[in-house]
Amino acid sequence: MGTPVVDEYSSLFRSEPMSLVQLFVPAEVAHDTVAELGELGNVQFKDLNPDVNQFQRSFIGEIRRVDEMARRVRFFSSQIEKEKDHIPVRPLYDSAPLITVGPRAAQTMDELDVTLAEHEAKLSQMNESYEVLSGRLRELVEARHVLRETAVFFERAEVNQTEIRTSFDDSSAPLLQHDDRENQFSSSNIQLDLEFVTGVIDRARLPTFERVLWRVLRGNLYMNHTDIAEPFIDAATGASTYKNVFIIFAHGDALLSKIRKVSESMGGTLYPIDPNADKRVESLREVNGRIEDLDMVLYNTGSSRRTELVKIGESLKSWEDVVRKEKAVYETLNLFNYDVRRKTLIAEGWCPTRDITMIQLALRHATEESGTTVPPILHELRTNKTPPTFQRTNKFTEGFQTIMDSYGIATYEEVNPGLFAVITFPFLFAVMFGDIGHGTIIFLAALFMVLYERKLARADLGEIFGMFFYGRYIILLMGAFSIYTGFIYNDIFSKSLHLFTSGWSWPEEHGVVTGAANGHVYAFGLDPGWHGASNALIFTNSYKMKMSIVLGVCHMTFALCLQVPNHIRFKRPLDIYAGFVPQMLFMQSIFGYLVICIVYKWTVDWSKTSAVPPSLLTMLIDMFLKPGTVETQLYAGQSIVQSGLLLIAGICVPWMLCVKPYIEWKEMNRVHAQGYVGVGQDANGIGARHGDLEGEEEGNGRAIVEDMDDEAHEEHDFGEVVIHQVIHTIEFCLGCISHTASYLRLWALSLAHAQLSEVLWDMTIAGFLNPSGIIGTIILIVVGVAWFALTVGILVVMEGLSAFLHALRLHWVEANSKHYQAGGYQFVPLDFAKLSEKD
Amino acid sequence: MEALFFNADTGFLEGIVRGYRSGILTTSQYSNLTQCETLEDVRTQLSTTDYGNFLAEEPSPISPSTIADKSLKVLVDQFNYIKANSVYPLNKFLDYMTYGYMIDNVILLITGTVNKRETKELLRRCHPLGWFESMPALTVPTTTEELYESVLVETDLADYFRGCISAKELDTLNIEIIRNTLYKAYLEDFATFCESLGGPTAEVMGRILAFEADRRTINITINSIGTSISKEQRARLFPTIGRLFPSGNNALAKADDMDQVRAACDSVQEYMAFFATGAAQEGRLLDTDSADDDGFKMVEQIDDKFFAEEVNLNKQAFLQQFQYGVFYAYFKLKEQEIRNVTWISECIAQDARDRIQDYIPIF
Repeated sequence: MGTPVVDEYSSLFRSEPMSLVQLFVPAEVAHDTVAELGELGNVQFKDLNPDVNQFQRSFIGEIRRVDEMARRVRFFSSQIEKEKDHIPVRPLYDSAPLITVGPRAAQTMDELDVTLAEHEAKLSQMNESYEVLSGRLRELVEARHVLRETAVFFERAEVNQTEIRTSFDDSSAPLLQHDDRENQFSSSNIQLDLEFVTGVIDRARLPTFERVLWRVLRGNLYMNHTDIAEPFIDAATGASTYKNVFIIFAHGDALLSKIRKVSESMGGTLYPIDPNADKRVESLREVNGRIEDLDMVLYNTGSSRRTELVKIGESLKSWEDVVRKEKAVYETLNLFNYDVRRKTLIAEGWCPTRDITMIQLALRHATEESGTTVPPILHELRTNKTPPTFQRTNKFTEGFQTIMDSYGIATYEEVNPGLFAVITFPFLFAVMFGDIGHGTIIFLAALFMVLYERKLARADLGEIFGMFFYGRYIILLMGAFSIYTGFIYNDIFSKSLHLFTSGWSWPEEHGVVTGAANGHVYAFGLDPGWHGASNALIFTNSYKMKMSIVLGVCHMTFALCLQVPNHIRFKRPLDIYAGFVPQMLFMQSIFGYLVICIVYKWTVDWSKTSAVPPSLLTMLIDMFLKPGTVETQLYAGQSIVQSGLLLIAGICVPWMLCVKPYIEWKEMNRVHAQGYVGVGQDANGIGARHGDLEGEEEGNGRAIVEDMDDEAHEEHDFGEVVIHQVIHTIEFCLGCISHTASYLRLWALSLAHAQLSEVLWDMTIAGFLNPSGIIGTIILIVVGVAWFALTVGILVVMEGLSAFLHALRLHWVEANSKHYQAGGYQFVPLDFAKLSEKD
Repeated sequence: MEALFFNADTGFLEGIVRGYRSGILTTSQYSNLTQCETLEDVRTQLSTTDYGNFLAEEPSPISPSTIADKSLKVLVDQFNYIKANSVYPLNKFLDYMTYGYMIDNVILLITGTVNKRETKELLRRCHPLGWFESMPALTVPTTTEELYESVLVETDLADYFRGCISAKELDTLNIEIIRNTLYKAYLEDFATFCESLGGPTAEVMGRILAFEADRRTINITINSIGTSISKEQRARLFPTIGRLFPSGNNALAKADDMDQVRAACDSVQEYMAFFATGAAQEGRLLDTDSADDDGFKMVEQIDDKFFAEEVNLNKQAFLQQFQYGVFYAYFKLKEQEIRNVTWISECIAQDARDRIQDYIPIF
């Protein structure tokens, strides 16, 4: 391909000329060089050791270290997020930058590593003690709950006991002698001699716990439980759990130990309490006291932890930034190759030819910064590989280019449809969205985003609004074009504007109003006289339908013409004669002719001639079905012209189908006849050898001798060429018809939009426009607000999205299929700015 | 028929699981793993696979058990995702898959309790897929009857357990019997369920479960030779499905030594191959010092062969569509992969590089 010619200014018409450059970087400045190039962001490095495992590469140790630092930084930010109180995190643009290049770089990194480790150690220690303390606090709180709640159980049990005892007393007289002893017990508040187990268990587990206990003890238990109202919050995870206090009365040591075992295995905590009420009160007081103490300690621990986090928050973002950049630098360095003496790193990469001077400046800068004298050396390599595609965009063209890139990345130096989309896209959108009012709304919204873009770009906008913000310039143009088409359609919120004198006057005769031409011609756009006329819809339909066809054919013809610069640039004259010319003739002889007829029919004043206006649709169909006959004549000599055009279109089909395969076949035969068979066709082809030789000539064999065969020439297979051509021809001929019909969506959507906005007007605000009194005014205001909300919600946002999608489709399918090969791959340079965007 | 409606309920999940399957480590990834010098290298290497950065939040140095735990968590998350999105019959099918783990957990807990192990430690070692609510309470009962009545009666294992209530005391031998009885009942039930689903599921799962049953039968036989278990008792533990059933099972029930086991397995060609090389080894090693060690080696070798054959069968499950076998197969393969990764990282950690190749490659 040779050295690409570089124009003075970059343009979007073709992708940037790229160069394959080779860098010889002394090992000691390698890091700084890559960092500098990363800031610059226009070199895409190639992997020079694809066969080496990730962990066997040279800089894996550094990457591990940076990974560890990244893990710490992530730990900090997760801690800050989890903290209940808001911890201020200083944004990156406010933080002092950490310098990680230059002679002190290693020291800075070491210091950072130590700082991070210290902070982590401190933080995890605090977390640990916080957890231990809050665990202890939780236990105490649980104990308090157990003490409180069980008091209720005991009271109830006491009542029960009396009942039970009474019933016993009735039947068992001999036990009477124990009465006084029992009285003693109850007076000293000692419970019945049932033993019990008390504790706390997770509420979710309670039913299972109960069931298991019932089965294990065969029903020999009396269990009671109450909910603890407030949740327990785990200090480490922040998850809240609800728990229950339970008390189980059972008899016998065996059973009790079973209960204990079950509750322990089910994750319950047991709190032994005293059956004596006084002692319970005593321990409750004690527990309360300890809770207060712990609360104090916990508060102090928490606040010192918060102070630590605040301190971390001040530099967190700059750490994040450094870690991210360092990782990118070392990952890039891993792509490099060492020279034989391991003193120099060899890098290869693509960069825009235009930027080589800038890169060289950056390299020199990096050398100066790092304080060494050996500068990195850059020189261009000659290669036969296809360079990546790089469209140099700015904030205005970026959105439009993205639309085309999401269809496919342009082949290197192919004509870029993204350039034309800047105008065609908003225009086709506006054809479907023509309304001065709605256009103004989106124009103003986009204008707001454009004017405040600096502020908005910094803020985190969320996914949906962020998307709109990204496309703010597209929206701006869409709004402006919609205002323009709105004037053409003379449509503002479904009403008309009377800017000039109307061409129609409305004399009233016998209650029927009929428009009469008054000799004026409305200067721009649709005459407002049509508004409200009974045949308004018939008129606008016919007008918009024909306009859609005209626009569509123009758009497709233009797209077809974009083939020519490609064929010229890639030196494929055959494709012009056997591809472009017949395609153009085919399309123009059918649809170009239709467009001319449409325009001609518009120019004729049918009210002044005696002839009947012919239906163009019938005319087109008859042109195919009954060639040579014309039912309703549009102009003299029509049948001869139409037969001629049909003939041309008919010839174009075999032209497209046969010429190219035939010439290629002949070429192949010629090559064969000269005896050039075999050598060139095996494996790598001649080009690869050529590349090898070049590399050796320049004395840098090692870095360049690599997989040249990924570009191996395709085997010339005649069958493939024929099949490809057949498919292509059929696709084009059918495509012409279906694509032209597809442009009718311009009409359909524009019609739907106009009708919808009219319906909305009629259904809401129209009835309340002449308010009487205060109530009427209030209603008008309410209805007006509702109307505006619906206008924005339905007509602007939803209809706008739908029109956007259709405009997208018209570009991707109808226009791109005519010329866009999209066989390239994106230029992805090492760029720190993009790196931070990704997160 | 299944092709008509399968995708309505399960198409999405089948897509997911086949996507998961493409994430299973390939031979080249394994060979990269075996080249690792340290566990840090393993971490780096795994981060380029489908495991992604599952170890990113682990502070260095990491241990093989961390790798095993985290990769098991990946599997469990995937299983739970599939399960949460499934409807009948897939959810039932997945339930059946968990029963196997439940049995393992039950046995683990009982054994642990009998051997007086720490309850918390035992619970930690339980397989998360086999977790059920009342499982922790298993550490309480001391007899099988209690075990059944207090805990298992309300679980899905209740039906399987009925057969082993006769065993009274919980000792090591009885626990083994319980395990095998449970497994026998489980495999038979699972096979019946898969049969009821019909179509390719029955076909694919039939193959896999038959193999599983035969493996158990052979293992039981080998392990019970020379123990106090009577031959009738042994025969009762054999699953009544599988390719060895019934004639092979009968022969195995009567087998007294390895030669008879081998003879019993002659009817199935694939199994014959397992013993063939085993026999050669045996013949070669017969005159060396200890016969016990030799037998052990052979059993170990057969075990490895079983694993390899299981992997092979599970791989075949992916060749058919519109069936639930892929779900079973995927999780079994993933389990094998976790075993492999754990093995490799153990080898690296203990610097036993000569045995690092002893993993079972999957794809």
